[in-house]
Amino acid sequence: MAFELKKGLFAIDEMRNVSIKIGKVVEEEEEWTEPMGPTPKPGILELRKWDHKLLERFEPFYAPMSDYCNLCTMGPCDLSMNKRGACGIDLKTAKARLVTIACCIGAAAHTAHARHLLDHLIEDYGEDLPIDLGGDINVEAPNIRTIIGIKPRTLGDLREALDWAEKEIVKVLHATHIGNEESFIDYESKAMHVGMADHIGMEVADIAQIVAYNLPKAEQDTPLVDTGFGIVDKSKPVIVVVGHNVMYSRPVVEYLEEQGRIDDFEIAGLCCTAHDMTRVSSKTKIFGPISYQLRVIRSGLPDVLISDEQCIRADLLEACKAVGIPLIATSDAAIRGLPDVSDWPVDKIVDALVSGKLPGVFLSDPEKVGQVAPLVAEAVFKKHGGERKYRFFETDEDLWGEINKCTQCMSCVFTCPHNLRIDQGMAHAQKTKDLSKLGYLEEQCLACGKCEQACPKNIKIINVIMASNFEKLYNKSGKTRVGRGPIQDTEVRNVGQPIVMGQIPGIIAAVGCINFPDEMQSIREILEEFLKRRYIVVTSGCHAMDIGMLKDEEGQTLFEKYPGIFDAGGLVNTGSCVSNSHISGVAMKVASIFAMRPLRGNYAEIADYILNRVGAVGFSWGPYSHKAASIATGFNRLGVPVVVGPHGAKYRRAYIGRYYKPEKWWAYDIKTRKKMNIEPAPDSLLVAVETKEEAIVQLARLALRPNDTSQGRQIKLTHYLELSQKYLGTLPDDWPLYVRSEADLPLKMKDQLLQILESDYGWKIDWDKKKILEGPIRPFDAGFNPTLVEEVYEKYAGEKPPQ
Amino acid sequence: MAVKKEDKYPAARRYQVADIQVSREATAVKPNVVVNLVKKAKHPVLVTGGQLLKDPKLVEFAVKFHEKGIPIIATGGSSKPLIEKGVKPQSAVFPLHYVTQFMLDEEWQGFDGKGSYDVVLYLGFLPYYLSRMLSALKHFSKITTISLDEFYQPHAKFSFTNLTANKEMHYQMLEEVVNNL
Repeated sequence: MAFELKKGLFAIDEMRNVSIKIGKVVEEEEEWTEPMGPTPKPGILELRKWDHKLLERFEPFYAPMSDYCNLCTMGPCDLSMNKRGACGIDLKTAKARLVTIACCIGAAAHTAHARHLLDHLIEDYGEDLPIDLGGDINVEAPNIRTIIGIKPRTLGDLREALDWAEKEIVKVLHATHIGNEESFIDYESKAMHVGMADHIGMEVADIAQIVAYNLPKAEQDTPLVDTGFGIVDKSKPVIVVVGHNVMYSRPVVEYLEEQGRIDDFEIAGLCCTAHDMTRVSSKTKIFGPISYQLRVIRSGLPDVLISDEQCIRADLLEACKAVGIPLIATSDAAIRGLPDVSDWPVDKIVDALVSGKLPGVFLSDPEKVGQVAPLVAEAVFKKHGGERKYRFFETDEDLWGEINKCTQCMSCVFTCPHNLRIDQGMAHAQKTKDLSKLGYLEEQCLACGKCEQACPKNIKIINVIMASNFEKLYNKSGKTRVGRGPIQDTEVRNVGQPIVMGQIPGIIAAVGCINFPDEMQSIREILEEFLKRRYIVVTSGCHAMDIGMLKDEEGQTLFEKYPGIFDAGGLVNTGSCVSNSHISGVAMKVASIFAMRPLRGNYAEIADYILNRVGAVGFSWGPYSHKAASIATGFNRLGVPVVVGPHGAKYRRAYIGRYYKPEKWWAYDIKTRKKMNIEPAPDSLLVAVETKEEAIVQLARLALRPNDTSQGRQIKLTHYLELSQKYLGTLPDDWPLYVRSEADLPLKMKDQLLQILESDYGWKIDWDKKKILEGPIRPFDAGFNPTLVEEVYEKYAGEKPPQ
Repeated sequence: MAVKKEDKYPAARRYQVADIQVSREATAVKPNVVVNLVKKAKHPVLVTGGQLLKDPKLVEFAVKFHEKGIPIIATGGSSKPLIEKGVKPQSAVFPLHYVTQFMLDEEWQGFDGKGSYDVVLYLGFLPYYLSRMLSALKHFSKITTISLDEFYQPHAKFSFTNLTANKEMHYQMLEEVVNNL
C-alpha cells in the first residue's frame, strides 16, 4: 500500500505495511527578506516588453549567408530580396529563426552539461551538499536569484533553476518550427530569452563543480599554470583531455594522486576542460584553445586522448587513428560510433586500446576513465620507447615532398576561413627553400583542415604549416591564471560606485572562441591598452588561454603583469565557458550590492539598471560557436553590449541603433518626473568590427552610459577621444553627442573642443566662464535617475510615468 | 597604366568557395563600367576598410578617388593613413556594420546630410566581412553596391572579378577607374 500525502496535518498511528514516500521537503523559509519581484521563472511573455524596448532602440540587422531556406521539405525556397517561402516566412524572420535556433543550441550545450554534471554530483555528494562559495560571497547565485527568484542553498536547490532553463529552451525551440512565429522581433525576444536561460545553465554548472570539486572560490591570487604547446615534459606519458566537462578528467588526477604518481605523468587539456582541470589541480596544464586540437594530435604528443563534450572536433577519432593515439570518448553527446565498454573490466579496456584492437572506446564511467587513461598512456608510451616518431612529418624529405606538390591553384585559399595565402607560402618555399612565409601562417591558422579537403593534390597542408613553424610552436609556453570563479562581494562593494559613476571607465569582458582575424597576438595588444588605462578586464575560456600564451618583449604574459583582482587595472580569469555566468553575475551584483536593487525575480529592473549605469562591454575577438552566440545574446538582454571580431558578422544578425534618430534615445527620469531625450550611450548591443584598431575604439565608446557623472564621463571621453586619435587618426565623429556640460570635456582638450562645438556644431559658448550655454541633447543633472521600464518608474516615483 | 582590351580578366570566382547559395550573383565588371556607374550616380561614396592599413597602394587609390570628388567613409582604422595624406573622410569612427545599418534606412540623410547614397564603392575589406554587409544591402535596400577589391564578391550588385592571383591587374583596374572619373 502506498499513498501520497497532500498538504495538511496527518496523524499516522499503528499502521503496518505502509510505505511512505516523501518528495522534496520544503523547510521553513530562512530569512531572505528580499521581496519577490514581478518575474520569477519568467516564460516567453514576461520579459517580452523589456525585449521590445531594447529591440526598438537596437534594431536587428540581418546579413543572410544564403538566399534560400531549406529547413523543410516544401523548400528549398528562394527568400532573396525578402521574398516569402512556402511556409509564409520572409527572409528577415527566417534569419531571426536561425539565430534563435543557434542560441537554443548554445544554451542547450551549457544546460545539458549542467544537468549531466549536477545529477552526477548529487549522486556522489548528495543533494544536501551546501553551496559555499567562500566567505566573501553572500550573493552566491545572482543569475538564479534574479531570474528564478530563489536563493539556492544546496546542490539539490540548483535543480529548480535547471528545470526552469530546460523548460524554457524547449519552449523557444518549439517556436522555431514551421509556421510558429511570424515576427522577427518576437524571434529576437525568444533568442534573448534563451540566451538568458543559458546564463542559468552556466551558473548551475559552475556553482555545482565549484562546491563539489572544491575549485577556487573567488580567490584573487589563484596560481599561474603552464600554457602553450611546449609545456609538456616529453619524457613522461602524456594524457590529453579535450572538451568542456571536467567530470571525466578529474578522476584521472584523483587516481594518480592516490597512487602517488601524479608527477610521473603529464596531464594537459584543450579548450575549457583544460581550464576546469587546472581549477581542480594546478599540476595540470593548458595546451591551448579549441584550435589546438589538430596541432596537438598530429604532433603525436598525446599517448591517450580523452574527449568529453561540446567544442571537440567531429573527426577526432579519425585524427587520432591516423597517428595511433587511442581515444576515450566519455560523453553521450559525442559517442563517435565507438563500442560502449562502460561495463568492461579495466584490464580488458586497457588491452583493447593499447593493442590497437580498438582505436577508441566509449567509456561513460568517470572512475574507470580515471584508471584506464593513465594505464593506457603509460603502456603506449613504453610501446614507442618514449620516442614520438610522428612530428607532423617523419623526415624533412616528407615535408618537402608535400610542399613540392603544390601548383598554386589556390583552392586552399578559397576555402580557408581566413583566406590565408597558403599558395604564396608554398611558392616562396619552393623557390627559396625558406619556410618562413609558411611558418608565419601558423600564427594565424585555425587548423580547421578545410584546406586539405579542397587540395586537389591531397597535400597535408596543416602539417606543412605546423612543421614550418616547428621550433617556435614546440617551444611556445606561457602562464594562465587559474580560473577563480565568482567575484567577491567585497570587491563589488569597492568598485561598485566608481563603475556606476564612471570613474572606472569600464569593464571589458573578453570571452569566447579564437577565430581571430589576424595573429593571436592582437588580443593581447587590445586588452593591454585597456589594462594600462585602468579598465577592469575580465576573461574566460579560449580567450583566457590565448592571453596566457602571448608574451611581451620581456617574456611576460598579461597574467603575470596584471593582478587577478576585480578592480581597475585587474585581469580576472573567471574560468571556463560556464564561468561566464560570473561575468553576467557581477553586473547584477553591482546593482544589488552597490545600489541595493532587489534581485529576486526582478530581471527587467536589473537589466535596465545595467544598461543605463554599468559600463560593461563584452568582447569576443574570435567568435564562432553557437554557445558564443547564445552567451552574447544573454548579455544583450541584460543591457550589456558586445563587440565581436569580423567573423562575428557571420552570425548574420546584429543589434545596431541609429544614433541620428532622437526619438529612439529616451529615458524616464525618476528625479525630475520627465521623459527625456538622452545620448545614444551605448548605441549598439551587438556589432562586428574589422580591425583591432576599430575594436579598441568601439570598446571605449560602448562603455559610455547615460548615468555617468561628469567626472566619469570626462574620464570615459578622455579615453575614447585619445584612443580614436591614436588608432583612427582623428577625433571620433560622434563625441559631441556625449557632452552634457563643459565638465564632461577632457581637461587637456577643453578649449579645443569648445572651439569645435561652437564652430562646427553651432553650440553657444560663454567664453568668459568657458561654459556651454546651448547645444547638448540634455543638461547634466547629478540626480538623473533613468529608467526605460514603466513599472520601475512607478515603483520609485510613486506615480505613472509621464507620456 | 590602363588595362588593355586584349587583357583577359580572370573568371569571377567566389573568394570563399562556399559563399553562398545565390539567387542573384554580382555582375563582374570592367573598370569602364564602374566609371559609368559612378558618373551617373547622384550621391556616390567610397567606403574604405581596414586592409588599407596593410596595403599602401590601396591608400593611394582612395586618395585619388577623393581627389576626383568622391567622398569617403573610412572604416576599420583606414581613416588614419588617409588623413595623413590630406583626406577628410565623411566619417571615421563607425565600423562597416554601423554604416551598413544606416544605409539600410531610406530616411538616412548620409554623413553629409545630402540624402541617401545611391552608388556605394567598397575598397579594402576582409572578404568574408564585406560579403555579409553586401548581402544585407542586396536583400534589404535598393543601393547599387560595387566591390573594387581583389576578389569577386557575389553579393554585390557589381564586382571586380577575381584578381587575387594577379595583384598588378587589380591595381591597373583601379588606376583605370580613377583616371577616367
